Amino acid sequence: MYEHDVVVVGAGLAGMRAALAAAQQGADTAIITKVHPVRSHSNAAQGGINAALTDRGDDWEDHAYATVKGSDYLGDQDAIEVMAQEAGAAVIELEHMGVIFSRDETGHLGTRRFGGQERARTFFVADITGQAMLHVLYEQVMKENVRVYEEWFVTSLIMVDGECRGVVAMDIMSGKIEAIRAKSVILCTGGVGRAYEPSTNGLIVTGDGMGLAYPAGAALMDMEMIQYHPTTLKGNGVLITEAARGEGAYLLNSEGDRFMKTYAPNMLELASRDVVSRSEATEIQEGRGVDGCVFLDLRHLGRELIETKLSYINEVALDYMNINLADEPIPIQPGMHYIMGGIKTDVWGATPIPGLYAAGECACVSVHGGNRLGANSLLDTVVFGRRSGEAAAARALERPFGRVSEHAAYLDETRIISLLDRKDNGDSVAKVRLAMGETLNEHLAVFREEQGMQTAAKAIQQLKERYRYMPVKAKGKVFNTALVFALELGFMLDCAETICASGLTRKESRGAHYRTDMPTRDDENWLKHVTCTWSPDGPVVDTIPVTFTRWEPVERTY
Amino acid sequence: MKYAFFPGCVSRGGCPELYPAALKVCERLGIELDEMVDASCTGAGVLQEKNKKLGDTLNARTMAIAERMGYDTIMVICSTCQGVMSRAKYTLDNDDTYRAEINALLAEEELVYTGNVQPKHLLWVLIEDVGLDKIREQVQQPLSGVKLAPFYGCYIVRPSDSLGFDENPERQTSLETLIELVGAETIDFAGKTRCCGFPILTINEKASVNMVANHTGDAKDLGADAMVTPCPLCHLNLDGYQPAAAKQRGKSISLPILHFPQMMGLAMGMSAKELGLQRHVIDTKPVQKKVGQV
Amino acid sequence: MQVKLAVKRFDPEREQDQSYVQDYTLDVPDHYTVLDALIQTREEVDESLAVRCSCRASICGSCAMRVNGHAGLGCKTKLLDSMDKDGVVQVEPMGNQPVVKDLVVDMSVFWNKIRAVKPYLQPEGPEPEREYVASNDSMLKLLQTMGCIMCGACVSDCTVLEVNENFLGPAALAKAYRFVGDPRDGATNQRFGELDEPGGMWDCTRCFECVEACPKGVAPMDQIMNLREEAAAAGFTSTIGARHAEIFADTVKHSGWLDELQLAVKTPGMFNIGAQLHNMPVGIRAFLRGKLPPIVHKAIPSVRFVRRIFEKIEED
Repeated sequence: MYEHDVVVVGAGLAGMRAALAAAQQGADTAIITKVHPVRSHSNAAQGGINAALTDRGDDWEDHAYATVKGSDYLGDQDAIEVMAQEAGAAVIELEHMGVIFSRDETGHLGTRRFGGQERARTFFVADITGQAMLHVLYEQVMKENVRVYEEWFVTSLIMVDGECRGVVAMDIMSGKIEAIRAKSVILCTGGVGRAYEPSTNGLIVTGDGMGLAYPAGAALMDMEMIQYHPTTLKGNGVLITEAARGEGAYLLNSEGDRFMKTYAPNMLELASRDVVSRSEATEIQEGRGVDGCVFLDLRHLGRELIETKLSYINEVALDYMNINLADEPIPIQPGMHYIMGGIKTDVWGATPIPGLYAAGECACVSVHGGNRLGANSLLDTVVFGRRSGEAAAARALERPFGRVSEHAAYLDETRIISLLDRKDNGDSVAKVRLAMGETLNEHLAVFREEQGMQTAAKAIQQLKERYRYMPVKAKGKVFNTALVFALELGFMLDCAETICASGLTRKESRGAHYRTDMPTRDDENWLKHVTCTWSPDGPVVDTIPVTFTRWEPVERTY
Repeated sequence: MKYAFFPGCVSRGGCPELYPAALKVCERLGIELDEMVDASCTGAGVLQEKNKKLGDTLNARTMAIAERMGYDTIMVICSTCQGVMSRAKYTLDNDDTYRAEINALLAEEELVYTGNVQPKHLLWVLIEDVGLDKIREQVQQPLSGVKLAPFYGCYIVRPSDSLGFDENPERQTSLETLIELVGAETIDFAGKTRCCGFPILTINEKASVNMVANHTGDAKDLGADAMVTPCPLCHLNLDGYQPAAAKQRGKSISLPILHFPQMMGLAMGMSAKELGLQRHVIDTKPVQKKVGQV
Repeated sequence: MQVKLAVKRFDPEREQDQSYVQDYTLDVPDHYTVLDALIQTREEVDESLAVRCSCRASICGSCAMRVNGHAGLGCKTKLLDSMDKDGVVQVEPMGNQPVVKDLVVDMSVFWNKIRAVKPYLQPEGPEPEREYVASNDSMLKLLQTMGCIMCGACVSDCTVLEVNENFLGPAALAKAYRFVGDPRDGATNQRFGELDEPGGMWDCTRCFECVEACPKGVAPMDQIMNLREEAAAAGFTSTIGARHAEIFADTVKHSGWLDELQLAVKTPGMFNIGAQLHNMPVGIRAFLRGKLPPIVHKAIPSVRFVRRIFEKIEED
């Protein structure tokens, strides 16, 4: 059996930041990741990372307030304060590690504007900030010689006496299933975008961490809060960064109007994402779109700015739409992008399960509440990645390994053998996943209502049933991706179930959860989080109050 | 049909047989050449290792001289010259500031680089300017029954963005076109657009010779009677280091390497002697025999 | 439209014929990429087809493969641009790396080479309290090398790696230049010293394959040339490669064109008797055939202008 003090599952920004923190505390740390670290989906974050740097007159409280308001008052304010306060140090630390942040004329870090904030406090590397940070964190992982189990897929958590004591994982290269004992496990597996179709998310974003933690007893919180990004490319749904609007791009409807002036007269295109996506969807519904899209117009920004600060989306627009952003507006639509909800943790990434931590998109601290601000996700990953790494290491360093059965991997081995043994009934992973994705995208999208969510919940139940008999046609041991996809689909179906259950529970509109049948925010009854915990009969739904420190809820306008 | 002519260094140096062979073929096809006696070396990518700007300036100068001579095209007979000059042109034509800097350096000689002159290899001149019909008229001794492996090397195929393939896609199969036109058979093989190994000869001879062994050996195994190249630098390595390659491979290769104008010349009925085939390291007589010259 | 993917497959678990080509004929939308078609194949036709992929937007670097013999990202390669006249697209795994299954290769050697260039910032002295102050231009310049997504396409098509597995290769060298070019890095000379070793920056043969293959405009070979130029300027001039470039430049400066004889004799060093003897058979063979460059090397008429250009640029 392998063993490490701290095992981090996932090697995106949160995972690698957590692993570095744990290793620096002196814990024997390993990362287990189903793809090579630099393939992680943090790559796709484009626009930047928010921080209020006090040495240039910014104030972390302003950042915190913008985040609270952005969350539609569903974010826990104690956690938001932690994140905003630690943001500056996190950005400087990344710069010291080697991230090539854009500079201003004085050679200091430069900023751009981002949505939902009055002030430019987004630090960036062109429009590839995620890639820039991810590769630098991997450089640090190489430098510190942190052990990485590359292309190992975690199949379950090892739970003994209510405590998490490691993970069971499959080496994808060989198909071998192994137990890895650990004193602390940190889940940093990202979101669950592939439960939706389409989604801006990569094919690897399959809710693994949530799917692992949920049956182990952890609560999934705010799962109804799904962010639709306002600017995703027509057709293939590739993300077009908010930085385009941050740099001054317009949103136009079919009549050439900057329609955001109707919905957000002050912040216009830079209102929060839920507001902008909803506005676009309204325009399209009311007949002022073209082929289900509105337009993002960058022409007035000029070729030079586009080629230096927005070069990646320029490449994407050319590659996939044959559009040069300097010459032509580009058709875009809201697209599923991010989940604000996830595994409920405290500000140290700890779940109520001893030994189990979570950070990044798979976690819910909750700093994003009902709607995440652009460029707060990268910040979330490094701040809470580091904190969870430190906390997990501290726990690990003060105790011996817990007892783990020699046969810890046995259950998963047999589960996988029986999965591969299933008879071909004509069904497939792809079919089930597509049905799930289209269901959620229809009923738990920018607009929701009771009937639709009921329909979705029922459909997900049926898909879970189909999943029990769904065959895996590829039988090999070496790099059997079909098997991996089948296991991922199980995680996604669990997440989908909680997304529906949470959505049906929240009887109001808040943030990304906009119910056409209950269009107003209800602070009287719903300043609370919805949580789901696993039971054999389906999710047990509960609520817990939002934590307030200093900002009372007021009407939210942009 | 008249061009400014840039013979390059190697066609008069390490491969002295190339220059006269090319001239004779041009003469036969009515291509008039105005040799650029004042042009310098392109740098061959080597000078660029030491100082890229230096290389770009020398190439800008060459193109400016051609323009002053009244030409819009410089004919070259070396892939490396073609590639290096094209790359310099590409850089200069896409960067106004840089072009201005370079022009400042040319001012003393009263030269101006405008971007109006393009380098063009004889290989492309034949297909695009002379035309296949006119060449066909001159084929007196078709190379029927001869199997020829085209070897482009690097510089006439990469980087593709500076070599005009968008406007002239036929450039990418130009050698095959001419091989077929002269009545020979094309032997296609994996290495035809790979590196000959010449640039690393002095740095890592073993690796360089290994490349020679792979390309010549593969072509030979596929039945080639000879290999044809538009690049004298490739010729230097593929021909000159073939004995070493055979030794490394542990078996004889003996694949004659023809400069592409030599292939044209043979088909036009010129003698092996005129074309300088006796100067090659690898004996070309087996090919000569096949075309009835021995 | 209809497309036929001819996929080179490899299955280590088969007893025989582990390597084979399998054709998949599909109906796909015109805008599909090679990766889109492979995903459709995997989902609808053959679940056993192994290919790494995730973002579908050329940023994660998972799906490098060879299409019609050349490496690139499957997600950035349009079917319409790749089909031959019969609608066939050849798909193979990357080269220069062992195949694990189908289009999946083992990239551990790739990563070992990245590790070998100490791929992380090595600042000089203690860290400042705030950020390092550096001009935006100096940072913008690094974006080209930083834009590398480590997909391996350049390594796949590198002609030197085919014959010399000790070569660091285009990706690692471009990564090295990313740090050499970083004003915050303090280990430049140490890096040059290591890159000067055999297998390092001088082993590139300048074939442009990596420039052609790179889907992100990193142009690894250009970065290798930058390394050579900057290393030589920093005084790393003792390798054969550096001397070769130096002598090449000298002869061009002297006469306007290349003096091959001088270059051949001087590069290994006039008194490097071993090398001179080693080169002799080639020289003698060439001489006997009348293939040797002219002994008397005449300068071009306007050589003084060439020399002026050298002088002016060398002054800078």
